Amino acid sequence: MRPDAGAPRLSSPVGRLLRTFSWQELRHHGLRHSTAVLAVLLGVALAFAVHLINASALSEFSAAVRSVNGQADLSLRAARGLLDETLYPQVAQRPEVAIANPVIELQTQARVVHTSTVSASSPTQTAPMSLRVLGLDPLVASPLTPLLVPRLATEVPGIDRLSLFAPESISLNAAAQRQLGVQAGDTIALQAGLRWVTLRVVGTVSAGGGPTGVMDLAGAQDTFGLHGQLSRLDVQLQGGAQPDALLRALALPPGVIADSADAATQRVSNVSRAYRVNLTVLALVALFTGAFLVFSILALSVAKRQQQFALLGVLGLSGRERLQLVLWESAAIGLLGSVLGLAVGTGLAATALKLLAGDLGGGYFPGIAPSLQWSPWAALLYGALGVIAAIVGGLLPARAAQQLAPAQALKGLGDAPSGRTQQWFGPLLLVVGVGLTQLPAVGGVPLFAYLAVMALLVGGIACVPGAVGAVLSLWPRAPLARHAALMLSVERARRMRHTATVAMAGVVASLSLSVALTVMVSSFRGSVTQWLDVVLPADLYARTAKSSSGAEAMHLDHRFLNAIAALPGVQRATGIRVSSLSLRPDQPAVALLARPIGEGTGDDAPGRSLPLVSDAIPARPGLVSIYVSEAMVDLYDARPGTTLQLPLQAGQPPVTAWVRAVWRDYARQQGAIVIGEADYQRLTGDTGLNDLALHLAPEARTADLQAAIRATAAAQGLDGALLEFAEPREIRQTTLRIFDRSFAVTYWLQAVAIGIGLFGVAASFSAQVLARRKEFGLLGHLGFTRRQILGIVAGEGAALTSVGALLGLALGIAVSMVLVHVVNPQSFHWTMDLLLPWPRLAALCASVVLAGTLTALLAGRAAVGRDAVLAVKEDW
Amino acid sequence: MLHVHQLSKRYDTEPVFSHVDLTVAPGEFVAIVGESGVGKSTFLNCLAGLDSPSGGTVRVHDTDITALDETAQALFRRQHLGFVFQAFHVLPHLSVAQNVALPLMLLGTPDAQRVEAALAAVGLSGLGERLPQQLSGGQLQRVAIARALIHRPSLILADEPTGNLDPQTADTIMDALVAETRAHGAACVMVTHSAAAASRADRVLRLTREGLHDAP
Repeated sequence: MRPDAGAPRLSSPVGRLLRTFSWQELRHHGLRHSTAVLAVLLGVALAFAVHLINASALSEFSAAVRSVNGQADLSLRAARGLLDETLYPQVAQRPEVAIANPVIELQTQARVVHTSTVSASSPTQTAPMSLRVLGLDPLVASPLTPLLVPRLATEVPGIDRLSLFAPESISLNAAAQRQLGVQAGDTIALQAGLRWVTLRVVGTVSAGGGPTGVMDLAGAQDTFGLHGQLSRLDVQLQGGAQPDALLRALALPPGVIADSADAATQRVSNVSRAYRVNLTVLALVALFTGAFLVFSILALSVAKRQQQFALLGVLGLSGRERLQLVLWESAAIGLLGSVLGLAVGTGLAATALKLLAGDLGGGYFPGIAPSLQWSPWAALLYGALGVIAAIVGGLLPARAAQQLAPAQALKGLGDAPSGRTQQWFGPLLLVVGVGLTQLPAVGGVPLFAYLAVMALLVGGIACVPGAVGAVLSLWPRAPLARHAALMLSVERARRMRHTATVAMAGVVASLSLSVALTVMVSSFRGSVTQWLDVVLPADLYARTAKSSSGAEAMHLDHRFLNAIAALPGVQRATGIRVSSLSLRPDQPAVALLARPIGEGTGDDAPGRSLPLVSDAIPARPGLVSIYVSEAMVDLYDARPGTTLQLPLQAGQPPVTAWVRAVWRDYARQQGAIVIGEADYQRLTGDTGLNDLALHLAPEARTADLQAAIRATAAAQGLDGALLEFAEPREIRQTTLRIFDRSFAVTYWLQAVAIGIGLFGVAASFSAQVLARRKEFGLLGHLGFTRRQILGIVAGEGAALTSVGALLGLALGIAVSMVLVHVVNPQSFHWTMDLLLPWPRLAALCASVVLAGTLTALLAGRAAVGRDAVLAVKEDW
Repeated sequence: MLHVHQLSKRYDTEPVFSHVDLTVAPGEFVAIVGESGVGKSTFLNCLAGLDSPSGGTVRVHDTDITALDETAQALFRRQHLGFVFQAFHVLPHLSVAQNVALPLMLLGTPDAQRVEAALAAVGLSGLGERLPQQLSGGQLQRVAIARALIHRPSLILADEPTGNLDPQTADTIMDALVAETRAHGAACVMVTHSAAAASRADRVLRLTREGLHDAP
């Protein structure tokens, strides 16, 4: 018979204790526990807001793609440049095809020429604004893209049903009408190259999203000089027809690719995924430090209630039940923080979507104005993360409550040195962390690198007790015997290492994250600065189009370039042709940059005009030389000494190109290829130019030269005002300003992390001081002065935060190496040099040590009053 | 050696004790008994300069402790006083020897041999490297006695030194306390509820609200 057979079955008292014992504690120290709730709230709110913003932007982008592509089953487009219109009848006549819809799509600028009304609520747009223009055959497009079919304002004089096909008419969606401040009957002008073309607004279209205008296909081709060319051909299949069968039957010429609307959305999702994940991880940093705050506050709470737990233990509450009680307390803090965090996160996301649109500065969702897409499943996930973080934070204090020896604690020996700890755990995690950095990204996300960062952080903190013990065991014993205060500090640190871990954990975690972010941002900024020096060798740059998506229609020509080169003060003028090139259906198009590339040591030699990451290998006779960005190596395995097939011309076989070198490109993470201008023009016949780089004579004044260039444009019948000029200094300043703005959020996160870390130090020291009130009381009886006791506390505070700062610095640098050398290349496919900003790091560490010491001192002051001396009277 | 003159203590208007006079000669062992709440521990704290009396003076040798500032009182305690508490109060992260050596360290005169001798005198020879949680209650109180006497103070203040011990262990502890106090020629003022412990003193006094009186 089992000993407990027949004994009454007792229900767990944890629930009842939670409502009484724990609730009283939470209520009496509301401010302290509110801080823990706030930390969880902050982490959950940031992470959930980032998720909502990204999900909303992706959803809106998908809807925008759908509104433009309509019900098309697939789209045919050229790998580079535009599609030959002769493909249209071939496709349209196939029996598998229900509708073939030829489309011109480009991004240009629009401005108001004449408006009949002025509304206070929608002021007239006098400055040019960006406008997406679609050229469609209205009769063909209507069943496929009903949202893009114009509704003509036939009530306006001069507008009738035939206006639909008039070459100089356009219909605008609501956003375009609102931003331009125009309505049907008004006149607007669109930029075409260096000219303005005047169009009449004849109606409206229902398409949502950013400003959009719809023209007749032939009118768009005329306006933008794209005769016989199409941006794409959207195809809707007959019922039962298979896309693959159609593509086989069509036997598309080389350089023509087919993809779907889903594929376009997926490509954007893929490209922005790393950015989104990085933002989410950054937000989760706040949750991670929040877990440390929960840990510190619950450690304090358990220390304070040590004898209460001991009494409960004596009264029959098992260790397991004490553990459960503290874990439930953690979960309650986490739950409250999570619920509030989800609410705040929703508000943050709504505000950010209104103020920053959907890409949070990343530039992945141009022209999208998303509405909030709230998901209960995501809320559940992020809410659960908050609760889990709080429970993880409460785990160690809960174990302390579990392992409490009630009798010892009641005798006043509850704070006795801990037994053997699992000292292999920390070093093992460090080794695992280093190992994880060697693993590749998963689906473009540096998952293992993030796990490595976590393993390094937790492992480093777990090493604290062992490291402190090892260092202090080397401390000479003889001097200790002469200095009571020193001996007390050293022996306590040596024998009570677990409490040192508690005090230091917050400092190590927050400082290492701050150091890592500081080093990463500094390294990135330094590398971008160096990169700008190389990629901007000219004295003045000029271009026509604001966006690369208008590159096909907004180009200049060599006649204009030669005229500029002949201007006084211009030593050399070169042009760059930028176009996009699709190499693989599952990847976004890469940028193809055609520019003069020379051999030897001239200014146009690749070694001087490109930020190469290694020397160029020799050219290979018979093959076209190209230079690829780092992303090309990751995404297409285009290493130096390999060949790449470039579909440069639709209808022509791809060109085999020889990769001679890899260069660093911080502008295009989807990849870029530099090809010699002569090769490009020979292979494509395209002589257009987008950007001009001008090297000036020393005496030349850029303002005068800009005026001369505009005059040259006017002399050729162009509008010189459409040219944009920029000096390298301006580009550098603008780039670095955007960089600093983009990374401003990391500085706030650092401040939050440091703040949480210091609060953790304050809570830890308060806990220790509380637990040591009797010790300080005894020291007072033995003749220690108040100053000496304060000295002990401040000394311990300074020593612990110093060790914590050093450890945090070392860990932070290790984590920054993972961020710089693993996370960034795996996320964005570019490398950077590690730069350690020592003065800033030293200032960061010094401020943490100072603040930590001050915090300890303040906590200690409470312990050395007369009440503390009388603490020895307290019954243990 | 110890001269207490017209010592009184009150909290706000509530008197604890008043008109307390006491003289203790070197080597003399005085026990103070009294009802709970009469202020026996408060009286000891006033003797040590740990609590401020409402009136009167406490002179040890020729020093008026009540006239010293807080720091000077601490320095005085360091040199001239030793304490034994009911709840032992040994520091859990220091070894037994380190606990005993604390007063010597405070005075800047560490002496390992003296610590070993003090431990031997209270029956703890060879246990110096142990940690407090490895000792019994009786052994912990012996550590406290060794610590109270290690720096050869002129006055020992003991607050219920046997309160947490069984009668047999209490008897042994009192043996040690009396023997060591006498061996060092120190005066001892002990507050106790225990008749057995009080019986070991040279004089037994009863503390009441009106002052100290010889116990019957």
